[in-house]
Amino acid sequence: MLLHIKNLKINYKSDNRPVEVVRGIDLDIDKGECVGLIGESGCGKTTAGLGITKLIPERKGNISAGEILFEGRDVLKLTSEELRCIRGKKISYVFQEPFSSLNPVFTIYEQMRESLEEKDNPDSRIAEILKSVGLEKIIDRKNIYPHELSGGMQQRAMIGMAIAPRPNLLVLDEPTTALDVTVQRQILDLIMELKNKMSLAILFISHDLRIVFNIADKVAIMYAGKIIECGPKEKIVSSPAHPYTIGLIDSIPSLKHRKKLFNAIGGRAPLFSELPEGCKFYPRCRFRIDKCSEKEPELKDVSGGQASRCIRTISAELRSATPIKWNY
Amino acid sequence: MYQNNQRGAALRYSNKMELLIIDNLRKGFKKHKVRAVDDVSFSVFKGEVLGLVGESGCGKSTLAKLVLRLLGADKGSIFYKGKDLFNISHNDMRKTRKDLQIIFQDPYASLDPRMKIGKVIEEVYDIYKNVSENNRKSKTIELLETVGLGETYLNRLPSELSGGERQRVGIARALATDPEFIICDEPVSSLDISVQAQILNLLIELQKRKNLTYLFISHDLGVIGSICDRVMVMQSGKLIESGSCENVFKNPQHQYTKTLLESALLR
Repeated sequence: MLLHIKNLKINYKSDNRPVEVVRGIDLDIDKGECVGLIGESGCGKTTAGLGITKLIPERKGNISAGEILFEGRDVLKLTSEELRCIRGKKISYVFQEPFSSLNPVFTIYEQMRESLEEKDNPDSRIAEILKSVGLEKIIDRKNIYPHELSGGMQQRAMIGMAIAPRPNLLVLDEPTTALDVTVQRQILDLIMELKNKMSLAILFISHDLRIVFNIADKVAIMYAGKIIECGPKEKIVSSPAHPYTIGLIDSIPSLKHRKKLFNAIGGRAPLFSELPEGCKFYPRCRFRIDKCSEKEPELKDVSGGQASRCIRTISAELRSATPIKWNY
Repeated sequence: MYQNNQRGAALRYSNKMELLIIDNLRKGFKKHKVRAVDDVSFSVFKGEVLGLVGESGCGKSTLAKLVLRLLGADKGSIFYKGKDLFNISHNDMRKTRKDLQIIFQDPYASLDPRMKIGKVIEEVYDIYKNVSENNRKSKTIELLETVGLGETYLNRLPSELSGGERQRVGIARALATDPEFIICDEPVSSLDISVQAQILNLLIELQKRKNLTYLFISHDLGVIGSICDRVMVMQSGKLIESGSCENVFKNPQHQYTKTLLESALLR
């Protein structure tokens, strides 16, 4: 096991009392495996990703509990010196907006050189990296600045910098959300190619199920700071077990839809300061029963590695027999 | 010549219900040396949802702004209900705008952060004088209820709302003039997929219930397929393909349309 996260909890400070936004998540990532973490904005998925290398600034919040074993060592017990050897080297990140991640006053070449593990004779290594991320065109252009590249090329450069130190784990946080569909496709193909070539492990964070279903081996769905369903991608796609996952899959737009209404999820995601008792999803759930409000369910196995945090078994018959309460 | 066009457009409206006729429209931006809209012609029929799909920078939003005359065109003409929008008085244009509304992409940027939701909507009545003093409040509440919000939102500020709720306010504001035609400029692009489905449901419902006509702009083929009757594909300022969603998606003719379909993550 490359990364083993157990019961991770992260708090953010707020005016009166700390707000727990990651409320105990377990996640395992093997070498060469791509795990997709899906969730709506504000569900804590980005925070969880940052938490892996303790990247939550102290003035903002802290990790209050849990264990993060990376290559057998507990990240939470490392000194800041030791952490620096992991961040950006063993575990590297690519974020949503490539332009705001790049430094506008340094050339791509300079920023690339900075990310290398061995600093002497960087030119051949940089050329190699640029080639592997499809930026052959700028190998001989050492004086090129980020603003001279398109969004897709900027993201390629960011990915290049992320893989330059030969990391074992790549955390991709919405890496294609700001890009056009054709460019998005190219970037996803590039990520897959690098993953296979370098046997990289990837944590792919996104709100878009379509992308995650396209790229991930395993999928975890987060709601209100907890994982509510996880398992192999094929299982989740073909037989989602949690009502929230079902609602998300029913919300995917498709060419065949033709003005038919979506079986959308009603209401809005709760604020962390106002989480309901019991199951956090039940106020929006069309399959809810009285018992749902009593106690937050545990993640329990469904079948074949799939687990769901729901006390009911949502069969196909139940799905078609339960009316949609809110269409919009 | 002009007279003929005008009369022709009026006939096309009364006979074939061509609500909006765009004829050889062109708009260039000198500074960037590009033609954002390059000799574009098409019609929107009453009661249909016409999709416009293309990647960023292809000229989709420029086209939307031209239709509303928020931008001036270099060449070409636009007829709305047979009226030439480039040759009407300021007053007539204002009346026409009552019929022609727009919903913008970014619900965060399109609302004044210091204006309460009730005021955002009531401002529309100040401009168009379409609601009497006594009915203002009840009309506003009715609009908020139409879009799935309620009276409790009257005194809230945009900052207290989620992205989906803000977009609902944007829709309520567009409906405040009782328009016939709404341009939806990427209305769901910045929303999460679950909220996106809610808003698409709302737009589909409203369109059916009020027999509205939409020009629906999006870069997402799935979204276009969910709501549109017909679709046009735009690439660097030009319309390169159009037809019913069924035909275009099943039998794309242009290479670019094929690339778009292959790239889209569809199920």
